[in-house]
Amino acid sequence: MEDIINKAVLFDYFSGRVSPLQKKSIENWLSEQGNRELYYQWLHEWELNRLQTNANWQHVYDKTAQRINDEPLSLQPSDVLPQNPWQLGRLGEWISRSGMLAASIVLVLMVCGWLFRDALLYQTIYTGFGETKDLTLPDGSTVTLNANSTLRFARFGFGEWTIAADAAHQNPRTVELTGEADFSVRHLPDHQPFVVMTPKGLNVTVLGTQFTVFSRERATRVALRSGRVQLTTQQTMLQPLMMQPGDLATLNRQGKLALTRTAHPEAMAAWKDHRFEFEQTSLREVAAMLHENYGLAVTIENSQLANRTISGSFTARNANELLQLIAQLLQINYIRENNHVSFTD
Amino acid sequence: MTESEGQPISNQAHYPRSMLHKTESAVSIVDNEHIVRSAFTSSPQKGFEALFRLYYRPLCSHALRFVYTLEVAEDIVGEVFYQLWKSGAYAHIQHTYRTYLYAAVRHRAFNYLRDELTGNRTPASLDDIDDVLDETPQTLIEYDETFQRVEKVIHDLPPQCQRIFLMSRFENRKNQEIADELGLALKTVEAHMARALQQLRRVFLAIGLLHFLFVH
Repeated sequence: MEDIINKAVLFDYFSGRVSPLQKKSIENWLSEQGNRELYYQWLHEWELNRLQTNANWQHVYDKTAQRINDEPLSLQPSDVLPQNPWQLGRLGEWISRSGMLAASIVLVLMVCGWLFRDALLYQTIYTGFGETKDLTLPDGSTVTLNANSTLRFARFGFGEWTIAADAAHQNPRTVELTGEADFSVRHLPDHQPFVVMTPKGLNVTVLGTQFTVFSRERATRVALRSGRVQLTTQQTMLQPLMMQPGDLATLNRQGKLALTRTAHPEAMAAWKDHRFEFEQTSLREVAAMLHENYGLAVTIENSQLANRTISGSFTARNANELLQLIAQLLQINYIRENNHVSFTD
Repeated sequence: MTESEGQPISNQAHYPRSMLHKTESAVSIVDNEHIVRSAFTSSPQKGFEALFRLYYRPLCSHALRFVYTLEVAEDIVGEVFYQLWKSGAYAHIQHTYRTYLYAAVRHRAFNYLRDELTGNRTPASLDDIDDVLDETPQTLIEYDETFQRVEKVIHDLPPQCQRIFLMSRFENRKNQEIADELGLALKTVEAHMARALQQLRRVFLAIGLLHFLFVH
């Protein structure tokens, strides 16, 4: 095995580009004590080719030399260190072993503590596939969470009164959303803003209003029903975009925001009542929605079929009802096996 | 081949065939080690000057792959040099200085990151040369995987969050300065930073648990 470990392989390994098998053979190679020198030598070369800093050594050297001069050694090095400095005495070994044991226990406790702390400080609400949830936040705002979505917010201090002269410098009420949710934000007497953060970097800042946020892998969209909200992305950081009721904002793949008008912003929240609003919606888009909301893997026989569209408003309580509905509308067949659905002509 | 190391290494005889792959530049770096050794024979000051010149910058760069800020990385590297000097251990180095310095810096940087992310506040076992050079292959690989994961987490952060985190990391900028420059509220910058750290914690937690399941 050892003959395949060379500098190129180790460079790839440091850059995180080797297969688990190669990693295993590097591990074997490292168990040979003599290879350690080579490992560090190549690590050093790798690092030299990818320097992340031009830190000034001269300055630090001067400071360190100064420090050494300022504290004359109370003991000569040869008195302190055993003949072979790499091996401590038995006592030292015992101390380091028990120290390590204690450190391990502490670490386990800390890990548990951390798990617990996160659960304590933040409340995270999840919805499974095909499930929606209504919840009231500590400030009185209400949120309806669509299927396969996550909402996370601080458990303490959320929406608490703050005394500040202007709204812009207050603690905002911040929630993090992945998935899809409809918000009805309560306006607080101190004008405290409410911010929805999405993973794609789109932030929605509101004072008190009703709107729907769609933030999934496929797209990020915001539809405003009433009130006013302000959108910021990385590009529009300095000039936030103001939305008016009836606006639909879409974040494209390049991170650009596009604003269009929609006559029915409430259609974006139709899922709250188990209603599905389609408007020239292709079967391909419906398939993406089935995947997001119900965790179904959908295959469509051919692209002609995928491009057929559905329009109208329908009610379906679960995935099967929706599948039947689609099949009837398009006069097509579908087969469902567990989480796999295929549509055929 | 091993003769070119130009220094006493006890287990030279065990160098495997892979030494055949050594390239020209590798040889020149080994020669640098030789320069350090001869500098040490004239005085510790000269020796350390050579060590700092050769290794301080790449070591900081490497430590920065583990920790969040250049400031912390420089502290860790500076402290390793200081301890090596103060303890007088430099006079007894049996490996190359490079091996000792990299091993010690990685050991510290890894412990620092672990303590930061797990909220552990007990001082880590510091310079125990023992620990540093007794690393198992698994430990070395764990260190490498850790810095790679940190890099991946940072790479996967949402753009704005990543930008803010990197400003803080590489430019040693305070949250308020970042907020001013980007025209954001301080709270927003803090929220982004908190989010980045949150992601980092998640990664480390997974490693920590795996480590306990398989090693302990």
